[in-house]
Amino acid sequence: MKSYLFSCLKKIKSEYVEIRYEDITSVYIHYVGKELESIGESTEKGGGIRAKEKGGWSFVSFNNLDKLSSYLNFAVKQARLAKTNSINLVPVPSQIKIIPTTPKKDPRQISLEEKYKLCTRYNKILLSAKEIQTSDLRYADVHTIKYFANSEGTYIQQERFWTVLGMAAIARRGNNIQSTHEGVGGVGGYELVENQEEKAEETVRRASNLLNAKPTEKGKYTVVIDPKLSGVFAHEAFGHLSEADFLYENERLLKIMRLGRVFGNQNLNIVDEPPIPGEGGFYLYDDEGVASRKTYLIREGRLVGRLHSRETAAKMGEEPTGNARAISYEYPPIVRMSNTYIEPKNMSKEEMISQVKRGIYAKGFRGGQTNLEMFTFAPEEGYLIENGKLTKLIRDFNLTGNIFTTLKNIDAVGNDLVLFTGPGGCGKGGQFPLPVSTGGPHIRIRDLVVGGK
Amino acid sequence: MEKILNEALFKGAKGAEVYRERGEITTVNFQSNRLKSIDTSFQEGTGLRIIKDGKIGFSSTTNLNDFTSLVKSAFVSAQFGQKALFQFPSPNKINPVNCFDSQVPLLKIEDMIEEGEKSIELILKEAPYFECEVEVEKGVSEVAILNSQGLKYSYRKSFYAFSIYAFLAKEKNFLEIEEGEANCQYHPYSDSLAEKIIQQAQLSKKLAKISPGTYPVIFTSKAMPIIFQALKRGINGKMVQKKVSPLLSKIGKPIVSSSINITDDATLPYGISSSPIDAEGIPSHSTPIVREGVLKNFIYDLQTAAILKAKSTANGSRGYDSLPSPSTTNFLVDEGKMSLEDMIADIKEGIIVDQTIGSGQGNVLMGEFSVNLDLGYKIENGKIVGRVKDIMVSGNSYDLLNRVVGIGKTSRFVGSTKTPPFYFSQISVSG
Repeated sequence: MKSYLFSCLKKIKSEYVEIRYEDITSVYIHYVGKELESIGESTEKGGGIRAKEKGGWSFVSFNNLDKLSSYLNFAVKQARLAKTNSINLVPVPSQIKIIPTTPKKDPRQISLEEKYKLCTRYNKILLSAKEIQTSDLRYADVHTIKYFANSEGTYIQQERFWTVLGMAAIARRGNNIQSTHEGVGGVGGYELVENQEEKAEETVRRASNLLNAKPTEKGKYTVVIDPKLSGVFAHEAFGHLSEADFLYENERLLKIMRLGRVFGNQNLNIVDEPPIPGEGGFYLYDDEGVASRKTYLIREGRLVGRLHSRETAAKMGEEPTGNARAISYEYPPIVRMSNTYIEPKNMSKEEMISQVKRGIYAKGFRGGQTNLEMFTFAPEEGYLIENGKLTKLIRDFNLTGNIFTTLKNIDAVGNDLVLFTGPGGCGKGGQFPLPVSTGGPHIRIRDLVVGGK
Repeated sequence: MEKILNEALFKGAKGAEVYRERGEITTVNFQSNRLKSIDTSFQEGTGLRIIKDGKIGFSSTTNLNDFTSLVKSAFVSAQFGQKALFQFPSPNKINPVNCFDSQVPLLKIEDMIEEGEKSIELILKEAPYFECEVEVEKGVSEVAILNSQGLKYSYRKSFYAFSIYAFLAKEKNFLEIEEGEANCQYHPYSDSLAEKIIQQAQLSKKLAKISPGTYPVIFTSKAMPIIFQALKRGINGKMVQKKVSPLLSKIGKPIVSSSINITDDATLPYGISSSPIDAEGIPSHSTPIVREGVLKNFIYDLQTAAILKAKSTANGSRGYDSLPSPSTTNFLVDEGKMSLEDMIADIKEGIIVDQTIGSGQGNVLMGEFSVNLDLGYKIENGKIVGRVKDIMVSGNSYDLLNRVVGIGKTSRFVGSTKTPPFYFSQISVSG
């Protein structure tokens, strides 16, 4: 592959060109209730070319590798039409790297029948409680070899196994429908999804319990959020704002997001770190061939860094961070997060809750979104906190706030960091889902708006 | 495609279907008010669905050089697949549906760039503080379907889409306005979309305050898909089959205000979801969903319909890499009699909801929603007095659709939903 890609690259003249090509085999199993909705294997091969010519970018995606040379020509011609101001890329050392992977248990060595049996077993557990209406179980293992070559002489070949299991239980009592879900897996082999019976049982138990929960009164509360939610919080409420492609050409926003600005209390650290083995957002080289690394976004409450592509780093005169990612060969790389989390501190969850007179303990997450100033997220379940004790189980509430004020309102950071991944992922610029992990310890936030009934 | 079908039948499949998509999409992207990149994607993929020993098998690939492994994978999958309760459709009379505009593939990239630039110029002339992202997109695709009952059909489809995202970052006051149009036909959208952005920028200049409580509310066409989300899922045959739809036993019964009529129709000329057949080869037709508030139909694909002993409503939807499942096509909501101006004039104190964040994350199926108001306005004494932000708007969409005061007299497409604005008697505001 290396010599083919380089020989095609040699034939064309352009300021900068890169080729990504992916060879993907995936196995998927999907249960909804008792029915197996789909099961099977698919193969996908395709590539994407990015060319830069006098300041304009062009991107071309394709499935037929034999026609690579003609697609390259097309991409360069198209880039000429896009000429604007000049675009610079931060220099990175060119290198040749081949990174194979050996998972503990190679999913390709396991028969479809065995995978089917595993899923059937979990699915039975999901359907085992009385008021469970249906389940939703998705299994996937994806083997990808990603080839990258650019006109600067870099060639990187990365192999990846991605094995995930998502389990949801949907309980119903009359018009009250409650769902809970758990996701496991990430970058790695079949071992990641084995022995998850307990997780399945817990999913069902929580769904059944939620039927007894009551909606809560809307208003402002002190809210303690669990690691799942604090991860989403780090990702939604702050992570997106650190993506330099939102900032690098927007002077007004840059002024607001100036380095050194105080965003939170001393005990707040937020980090993005791709090279954590096993996590959903794990990678060693990003989709521009740049080595990944740990980046502090907030340190001791101050804004200290942001996530970059080669272009945004050059424009802002900062170091590249290796955060240019594309969900697949069909898309150009854009600045994305990887594994984003809040660093743990000292307080235990119990202590945090015991200090709250009236508040909410929110757990699990159904989704979250941001517009860079405001964020919302939907927890799965919660408890009222009254005089330091968890009392009533509550359901169907959303949390929302202004990012800038909410970060300052974090008044306690827990000691129990957990990272989460699973199927699904992050969406941006039409690219969804991108595998990421999010996590954090329990944290406590004052004056958070809770919407509900 | 014939080769794949024959191979599958030769290997012992009782029925087989080959579904192929090929497409070419070109997008001109502007960022921070400037042309940024031009992207083209050439895609093709093929899916094979078989019925073997009464069970469904499926596999897909982008690589047709190796069709024997495609067939093999489909057979492996059929060992575990769902029991097939349907038969592949025989050739039927298929009426052509206008979904291809020959002008679209001929559009020059230079002209698309020019139109993008024009829209930005128009906006910056009135609102120089905006950073605009613009996407001008044209696409052509060909869908072909072939099955063992002798069905062999293909059609071409085109689309042209134009979207603008105008963004202003001010300390404690971010403003984002999104507008877009998409159609199978080419239309020069730059003027009308730029004008919409400018209008809203002007309305947003002043900030207004609202205290928590319940207020009358207007949802613009752009915001209405949030309200229809629950209904779209509730009528989905899959949700009915799994018994999680709250509309389970509601056919023939009133579910929303009697002023509401909704139709699903893939035959609408040049609608963004129009096509002559669905993804299983069933000829498209119009399906009444709600008539005078009464629920008329659920939507089905072949298998879901068969499980529920109903007939496919030609709502089988899929990509080449997945099995079909029911999905709405063009979701058309009838216009009413009230103008937007009259709605506003009618409200003493209330809000207009235009853009939100966080929809689709609560208990959507039951209609619950609780969203942050991304873009919305305060009405006082019949006039818009400014933008309201930092508030949460919560309610239940079924409940709201039963509290209709007025339905707008002009509608527009937002994604594949064509809807007028709605005026509801009350919504809960917190913040």
